[in-house]
Amino acid sequence: MIESADITTVLRTLADPTRRAVFERVVGSDEISVVELTRGSGVTQGAISQHLKSLKQAGLVAERPEGRNVYYRARPEGLEPLADWMGHYGVFWRDRFANLRNLLKEIDP
Amino acid sequence: MNGAALKADTQDIVVDEVFPHAPETIWKALTSGDLIARWLMAPTGFEAIEGTHFTYQTTPSGEWDGVIRCQVLQVIPNQRLAYAWKGGHAANSGYGSPLDTVVTWVLTKVESGTRVRLVHSGFVLPKNDVAYQNMSNGWKKVVRNLDAVVSEQDGTKSLH
Repeated sequence: MIESADITTVLRTLADPTRRAVFERVVGSDEISVVELTRGSGVTQGAISQHLKSLKQAGLVAERPEGRNVYYRARPEGLEPLADWMGHYGVFWRDRFANLRNLLKEIDP
Repeated sequence: MNGAALKADTQDIVVDEVFPHAPETIWKALTSGDLIARWLMAPTGFEAIEGTHFTYQTTPSGEWDGVIRCQVLQVIPNQRLAYAWKGGHAANSGYGSPLDTVVTWVLTKVESGTRVRLVHSGFVLPKNDVAYQNMSNGWKKVVRNLDAVVSEQDGTKSLH
């Protein structure tokens, strides 16, 4: 099953320019904390946290808590609903080939 | 075989890999419902018999229920399997738009195992829509095009 939010959720989430800027900064780094995202953003840490929450609900970012910090990274598959059919199935079939390879290894070692 | 495959304005996805297994083993993974469910998705009603209709449930979008409607078109045991792969709804664009395609699997015995070639054919590319075409090239590019796409889609009815 393809785990992704529907296209409306993804588009609504990214329609906000500030939130989109936050997402683009997460995409641009391997992993980034709320504190780092707030620095130089011109908005409060609370506002950044709210945007990250929306991005997480839309399946666009994933979080990893470590001690008192939470680190965020982009989920490329979250953008799948935005792609056209060809882009979607390009990703889909490559993933499935990897699954098939693993399954064959299991049933025919 | 299928009208969509003959149209000049359609494109194919091709994935071609060699697997270290016999064609018979791979054929089993491609044609047994239980095994298909483990690497692709769980099919409903699949049988490797020409003419059989079956479905896959995928992520819905707008007015489309997410059901992929398939029909087995060709079965040559251990060599070739083709099925129609249709879905989507006219009210959607991009993911969830009308889809009338064919999935073909070709198995060829090679020294180190089997060459597995998947051809997913019949994609109609959105015309006059550079942003969408660029999206096929990878998600980093998608991000760069978000501004254009979001503002374009934001006003469409499919959002409401």
